[in-house]
Amino acid sequence: MAKAGSSDLAKQEQRLAYWLLAPTFIILLTIAIYPLLSVFYNSFTNNVFASSAPVEFVGIENYQQLLSMTIKTVPPKLDDAGQPVVDANTGAVQYESAVAVLPREPVRFRQVTQFNLFGTQFVLGATDPNFIRAVWDTIVFAVATVFLELVLGMIVALIVNANFKGRGFMRAIILIPWAIPTAVSSQMWAYMLQPNRTGFFNTVFWYLGLGNGEIPFLSDPAWQLPSMIMIDVWKTTPFMALLILAGLQLIPGDIYEAADVDGANPVRQFFQLTLPLMKGTIAVALVFRTLDALRVFDLFQIVLGQARYSMASFTYYQLIQNRQMGYSSASSVVIFVVLSIFAVIYMRSLGVKSDEQ
Amino acid sequence: MNSKTKQRINRILLWVLIVVMAFWMLFPFYWAINSSFKSEAQLAMMPTTFVPRDAATKEVSFNLRNYEAVFTNQAFLRAIVNSTIVAGTVTILALGVGAFAGFALGKLRYRGKTGTLYIILAMTMFPAIAVLTGLYAIITNLGIPPILSMIVTYLLFSLPFTAWVLTAFFKELPTEIFQSAQVDGASPFQTFYMIMLPLTAPALVTTGLLAFIGAWNEYLFALTFTSISPDSRTLPVVIANFPSQFSMQIPFGEIMAAGIISSIPLILLVFIFQRRIVAGLTAGAVKG
Repeated sequence: MAKAGSSDLAKQEQRLAYWLLAPTFIILLTIAIYPLLSVFYNSFTNNVFASSAPVEFVGIENYQQLLSMTIKTVPPKLDDAGQPVVDANTGAVQYESAVAVLPREPVRFRQVTQFNLFGTQFVLGATDPNFIRAVWDTIVFAVATVFLELVLGMIVALIVNANFKGRGFMRAIILIPWAIPTAVSSQMWAYMLQPNRTGFFNTVFWYLGLGNGEIPFLSDPAWQLPSMIMIDVWKTTPFMALLILAGLQLIPGDIYEAADVDGANPVRQFFQLTLPLMKGTIAVALVFRTLDALRVFDLFQIVLGQARYSMASFTYYQLIQNRQMGYSSASSVVIFVVLSIFAVIYMRSLGVKSDEQ
Repeated sequence: MNSKTKQRINRILLWVLIVVMAFWMLFPFYWAINSSFKSEAQLAMMPTTFVPRDAATKEVSFNLRNYEAVFTNQAFLRAIVNSTIVAGTVTILALGVGAFAGFALGKLRYRGKTGTLYIILAMTMFPAIAVLTGLYAIITNLGIPPILSMIVTYLLFSLPFTAWVLTAFFKELPTEIFQSAQVDGASPFQTFYMIMLPLTAPALVTTGLLAFIGAWNEYLFALTFTSISPDSRTLPVVIANFPSQFSMQIPFGEIMAAGIISSIPLILLVFIFQRRIVAGLTAGAVKG
């Protein structure tokens, strides 16, 4: 091959590559990067959507409002003799109201939660308790769902990787929860979780003698997150299982034959062969799922509405309900930062970066 | 003998697990189907029944009223049309543009390739919520109609996805085909258009299917951009905020019927294309 000709070809090839990539990059620039920059800019303003008030630059005020937190000790209630008041029934010490100890000037802090450490009662206050709670709930939701989905997804993957009649059919069945719209599955589960015996779960619990048949799964704060986690685990375990299944299929079968010969039992084979070999696959699956779980929206918005927020549904309501463009932009930026941190931590700690091409 | 019993026990255990798993995956559907055949009175029965039963006689009694209501519900029927238009157009656009990018990323040599690969990979994980406010402002300021807004903004997730998955597929095609075509005097674009693209037709179907499902199910953008124009709502938005025709109560029977109807196309796709969907999903995420 003539040298000039081949380098001509290489040049032609390079030019073609740029032309072919251009539409994708132009589109992504327009619908991702430009809006992202405008969100970033807006987060420093007091922009209220569809209002005639002039837009002012407010610096980091939105972020202060979103993120300011404080911890104060709550003193016990004292009786006339200066002794702490103790509840006669439970023996628990009575504390002063948290409102009294939280700062009110220049901005008012409201209670997020109270906790007891070494016998002292503390209150965590924030200028926007809803947002702090949303961040915390979303992280708890993400950690719990990803962990459960990993364990259950592994089991499901091992099952549909085994040899049995109807395996293809089973694989199609596990795709169903993944394929149907979250809007549909959220409504299905919301109906199963009705707070009386018209709901499936309350009826079954009642038959089993658990509860009074009126457990408010979706309105009792203690039940809300577990319910969300249960629904998401049902919906997303199949996806996790498929990712793991793909990894399982890359493991050559003769490794197991050798292990059989050596007399290693299946449990040992799983922990000493399968798991280490699956490290890369699991890492990638974890990254995908964690990022997905942290931006959960559909499920929270549809099932809980404004009763309890995820980070994304908080942002949505600030924008649509309150028209707070600047404020919701700031919360978007916070989400973006949290997600990026998680992505980097994961990629670093699991060594994905070096595996990726 | 001993090992034979052992094998048999393993077999039984496996089938127990299979049945438990299938039950877990399918039961919520069964419950939705069960509820969709109940009248309002049957839905209100306490305790609830595992098949639709008459409230008074406890006889099994199916009721088709919810399906009648759903099929005469204008909002729902319009949503089917809207969803089809939006998801269909997005899929075609994402495939068309994404195939170009996928071919360049998967087969061509050029400077800055690693960087572009990373950008596309990062974009597949881009959180839509982060740009929601920005997109909403642009769309309202420019007065872009909701259907068009959805089509354009859905590319935010479907385009990187199709580009990334197709990159993996293009990579798998033997480079020799590409080279021999070039030797025969075909320009790189001709090679792409006349030789590589037909070879990836199965991959295009798979990727298109996944992009379609993603767009069909999208909720956040659809909900936001149609907040003041109910006529443009897609299925997920209508199902999540089901307009009750009769009562103040949430019409769960109708919602279940509507949910089942809008899931059927997806369930059919899953059963027909099970192998391809699994291949496409994992090509997008695991390989790279």
